[in-house]
Amino acid sequence: MTMTRPTPFFEDVAVGADIPVLVKTPTSVQIFRYSAVTWNSHRVHFETEYARAEGHPDVLVQAHLHGAFLAQMLMDWIGPHGRIVSYGWANRGRAVPGDRLTCQGTVVGKKSAAERGLVEVEIKEVNQTGTTCAVGTAVVALPVRDRRQ
Amino acid sequence: MPTQTVIVPGEVEDRYIGVIHARDFQRYAVAVGDLNPIYFEDAAARQAGYRGIVAPPNFLTSVRNWGPGPFEGDLQRDGTEVENLPRELYGMRLMGGGHDLRFGRPVYPGDVVRARRRLIDFYTKTARFGELSFAVYEIVYFADNGDELVTCRETIIAAQ
Repeated sequence: MTMTRPTPFFEDVAVGADIPVLVKTPTSVQIFRYSAVTWNSHRVHFETEYARAEGHPDVLVQAHLHGAFLAQMLMDWIGPHGRIVSYGWANRGRAVPGDRLTCQGTVVGKKSAAERGLVEVEIKEVNQTGTTCAVGTAVVALPVRDRRQ
Repeated sequence: MPTQTVIVPGEVEDRYIGVIHARDFQRYAVAVGDLNPIYFEDAAARQAGYRGIVAPPNFLTSVRNWGPGPFEGDLQRDGTEVENLPRELYGMRLMGGGHDLRFGRPVYPGDVVRARRRLIDFYTKTARFGELSFAVYEIVYFADNGDELVTCRETIIAAQ
């Protein structure tokens, strides 16, 4: 199993700061397995010829898999004691096997709440040419320093 | 025969999702390539403040069908299921639009889950390359004791 980063404290997160990026390079096997576990039989995800007939260069990364990559980036950043309160994304560009997808985020707001702090993040996934594949926002809850000591 | 539900806009459709199994959400995490130990190791999950291993946040909302699903001959030509669509989008080219998820409590193995699904908006827009249709669903997933697990707003985009 991978090691997760320690959870950052709310006080240590600054508005304007970037969160650690997550780079994913989906393969055709990954896309197939994601379709299998989500019982998604849409042919654009596993049949190259069909995807081409619809005007795509290859089989497509699923909309939900883009979202899963963004969720993974958030969970890696907030560590074991952070929680995702909400997040959303809109799919803006397609991705195919071999694309190098970089998930990134920037803190845009902070708000104290009972026993935890809420942090708002703008999130994005871009490919190797800088084209945006997905864009969205998230709110995560982080522990407040003095409450945990 | 698997049943197919035709969605009437605004109508609430109750769906039985079923019992959540660790194997299923662990396969999901493996497919994503997300090996966060809270999905796999009870000790790590407990240390993180959970009761035990939990499902990845977007597991529930990503699975397209929780039943057997339609037989192959009942799928649309592109392989998609009409069950997930308003009638107006049958036969069209489909794309995932956007998703907004709001989380309740975590999802644990053994949870018995139900969902309420409702078409909350349906509209068309003219783009450079033709008319696009947008169907927006709200789906609330909850445990059988009433705990809300996740609420999802999902937009499906369709083109001729």
